[in-house]
Amino acid sequence: MKHHINIRALASKLFTHFVLIIATLVIGLPFVWMLSTSIKGPTEVAMFPPVWWPKVVRFDNFVTAWNTAPFGRFYVNSIVTAAAGVILGVVTAAFAAYAFARIRYKHRNFFFLVMLAAMMIPGQVALIPNYVILAKLNWINTYQGIVVPHVANVFGAFLLRQYFLTIPDDLYDAAQIDGLGHTRTLFHVALPLSRPVLGTLLLYLFIQKWNAYLWPLIVTNKQNMRTLPVGLAMIRSAEYSIGPEHLMAASIFVLMPVLIAYFLAQKQLIEGIAAGAVKG
Amino acid sequence: MWTFFAFTGPTFILLAVFIFWPIFYSFYLSLFKWNMVSPRKTFLGLQNYKDMFSDDVFRLVVKNTLIMAFFTVVVKMAISLYLATQLNKKIRGSNFYRAIIFSPTFTANVAIAMVWAWIFEPTYGLMRSFLRPLGLPMIDWLKSTSHSLPAVIIVLIWSGIGYDMVLFLAALKNVPLEIYEAAIVDGASPFHVFWKITFPLISPTTFFLTITGFINVLKAFDIARIMTEGGPLNSSNVYVHYLYQNAFQWFRAGYASALALVLFLFIMIITLIQNRLSKSWVHY
Amino acid sequence: MKKGIFILVVMLIATTFLFAAAKAEEQKPDRIEILYWRGLTGVAGEAQEEIVRRFNESRDDIHVVVEFQGAYAEILQKMQAALAAGDVPDLVLLDSPHLQIFAKDEAVQNLDRFVKAEGKGFLDDYVPGLLADSYYDGSLYALPALRSTPLLYVNADAFVEAGLPKRAPKTWEEFREFAKKLTKVNDRGETTQYGVGFTLGATTAHWYFQGAVYAYDGRVSDEKFNMYLHEEPAVKAATLWQDMVFKDKTGVPSTTHDDLFTGKVAMVFGSTGSMGNVMRRASFEVIPAFIPGQVRNGVPVGGSVIAMPSTDKWRQWAAWEFLKFFTSPESQAYLAEMTGYMPSRISSAQVPSLVEYYNKNPHWQVAIDQLKYVQPQASVISLPKGTEILRQMVEKLLIGNQDVRKVMAETEADLIKEYNENFK
Repeated sequence: MKHHINIRALASKLFTHFVLIIATLVIGLPFVWMLSTSIKGPTEVAMFPPVWWPKVVRFDNFVTAWNTAPFGRFYVNSIVTAAAGVILGVVTAAFAAYAFARIRYKHRNFFFLVMLAAMMIPGQVALIPNYVILAKLNWINTYQGIVVPHVANVFGAFLLRQYFLTIPDDLYDAAQIDGLGHTRTLFHVALPLSRPVLGTLLLYLFIQKWNAYLWPLIVTNKQNMRTLPVGLAMIRSAEYSIGPEHLMAASIFVLMPVLIAYFLAQKQLIEGIAAGAVKG
Repeated sequence: MWTFFAFTGPTFILLAVFIFWPIFYSFYLSLFKWNMVSPRKTFLGLQNYKDMFSDDVFRLVVKNTLIMAFFTVVVKMAISLYLATQLNKKIRGSNFYRAIIFSPTFTANVAIAMVWAWIFEPTYGLMRSFLRPLGLPMIDWLKSTSHSLPAVIIVLIWSGIGYDMVLFLAALKNVPLEIYEAAIVDGASPFHVFWKITFPLISPTTFFLTITGFINVLKAFDIARIMTEGGPLNSSNVYVHYLYQNAFQWFRAGYASALALVLFLFIMIITLIQNRLSKSWVHY
Repeated sequence: MKKGIFILVVMLIATTFLFAAAKAEEQKPDRIEILYWRGLTGVAGEAQEEIVRRFNESRDDIHVVVEFQGAYAEILQKMQAALAAGDVPDLVLLDSPHLQIFAKDEAVQNLDRFVKAEGKGFLDDYVPGLLADSYYDGSLYALPALRSTPLLYVNADAFVEAGLPKRAPKTWEEFREFAKKLTKVNDRGETTQYGVGFTLGATTAHWYFQGAVYAYDGRVSDEKFNMYLHEEPAVKAATLWQDMVFKDKTGVPSTTHDDLFTGKVAMVFGSTGSMGNVMRRASFEVIPAFIPGQVRNGVPVGGSVIAMPSTDKWRQWAAWEFLKFFTSPESQAYLAEMTGYMPSRISSAQVPSLVEYYNKNPHWQVAIDQLKYVQPQASVISLPKGTEILRQMVEKLLIGNQDVRKVMAETEADLIKEYNENFK
């Protein structure tokens, strides 16, 4: 009897592994392919059936790709704009969320609906009007030009508000008794307790801003202010002088740091997202 | 009250300037014909909107977008939910699987589009080596009117599975063990357990993923732009890409603004409908 | 009383300032910095940077800052946004069909007065065929920067392997025959090498098609926007292309030259401007050649021009100085030598380094020789959606396999609509 159950359990476990391995392969293979292509020479790139490990390894593809555009500068720009965007975004969202969760005001619900309405507006509508505003402020081709129009972050405010609402009243009341004003309550009570959701939010926002393509493209005129995705796409229009192997190499520059950071911190990050979303 | 405004002020000022004002300005522009170059704008009234409904490409674009949204969301969520259930079992290496499957979430769309364009390459791409053993012919995915949209959909699903899976997994882990134990004691089959118990219990997550997933796909731009540029023959042209073409390639700022407003209205309606629905089938 | 004196003094000071400011406007600044938005990557990009560097070195009073803005389509988008915001560069490289759109609304400067100030015959040394499309409504709005004509690039090694003579096909009929010999099919029925890749690029599909139409002695449209696509020459050209893809199965739609380099196709269309890159990247022998003729030879001119959006008086002066330098015989000779674009000055042909270069590399002479067959592009190219409509036409023919006459009729209807709504 026991023997019977063990086989079934074992089969089930094997099947689970099998399914997950397939999924992992499907997700992982394109990345491996990207790596493989990036070290091939022009003849091996164009071979069928495909070659996984080239006979002639061409690390110089990375040099060629790096030289087609100022990637170092693109990195700096991406880091600065993404970090600034995330910090400013979370702070403004936290203040707003707290207000909606804990500050009593007659027309609070109305304003909340107004804010939700903003979330439904597709960003593409605002492209030209926003550019006009920036030009008048002389913010074209500046970090603030890239960052500021997207600081207001309704999703974050919404998420944080949900979370703040689940914090028991006694904790807020205790803070009030201790004489903390709203601001201090926000920073010393609400936010620390929201660490899981904060993790989600930070991650979500960072991805968005790091990968942003269309807006930075329009706002930046000079190579020295462009971000990574924009820089990468620009190489692509150099189709006559570089081939797939260089495009893949350049993609790797863009992806590598993010993926490495990701793999180092993924456990905490994923669990943060998970916890945040469930509460939300 | 002043505190309220102080706290929400920055957000509202930014929203007013960068999100709300543009809508009015876009609405204003949608009543004109404007090529964005000259100061001269020609008043058209609602002509742009009338033109939309007689525009064949518009109809095709809407169809493509809806197909893309439907298949992407449904298939992605089904696969990721299934994977989440598998990952939820106590097995070794689950962190590893989870980490790999989630990784595309971090990957810039530009890079994803580029590697997949190369994968879909008819002669040397990876896709061909998978189709070959199945006896399938060479397909020029990105240059075929029947395969370009599926290609885009495949990429969107591929890159979105990880995120949905992680959220589903969290929701699953939050289902108290006692419920499962009780069900097993009652003699319920795994199938029954899943659909009658688990699924309803994770409905907030399902709901969240459906809304955000659908709306995000409606706004999809990067992958379509970089992999296919909407072609060939608009077979993979999707709404926001068509909007972009009208505004930035064909100098039709008025028409593009009208397109943007219609999209906005459409998304609003969807959200309202889903709000109504949520009241009936989401269980907290 | 004191108050009165005070006000008087203030007004005096204010007036002095105003006067000084006005005077300053009058005076030429010691050093003017102007902004040039350029496009094109690879060799063509570097060559432009070199021209800018040479200019900056030769002058103390003007400094040109050059910014790469992406492909022609991106430049277009950025110019629109810049105009909407009132913040434009002083000079911008434009794909020649885009000039009309900006010229029409005076978004770029009318250059007639600058030409006039140069004295008589200033434009005489410019190659007429390359200058023609810089005019709008009789006035000059740009100068030719990097001009090109379409070429046929063939894989000479593949020709030899197929038993073909080591030269490009001279007529479209021969082109079709050659393609048949160049197409290889393996035993699984898969085509491993196609004779030709028909380019469907957004900025080029229409261009090569015009070359085919001209060869059959037809045209696409005229200055008055009458359409000619329904006539026999255009129909013949379109049918030939379509039959090669669907009946002969020797042609395939292509978007990049990679298809030539990877051996997927043996012939591609390209621009004289890509000659540098193509010759460098190919691992086999490439022969650049004329676009096939048929009844006659005729090719549309293409490439880019530089226009002047600048609105400030002194910056305009500085911009004009740079424009002259960029289009000088020496600069044009340098650009031609580096990139394979064609020099827009007749006397460039006498610049020693270029003469020597052509002697060493006779293939580069192709572009110069084809100049005698150059014609302006069809007028419809200047319509905002013109090139897109033609590109879709090529797609309908070569991917959709739709009936040729029907496609021509639809295309003409779309073009006429576009003309009526957005150009007149």
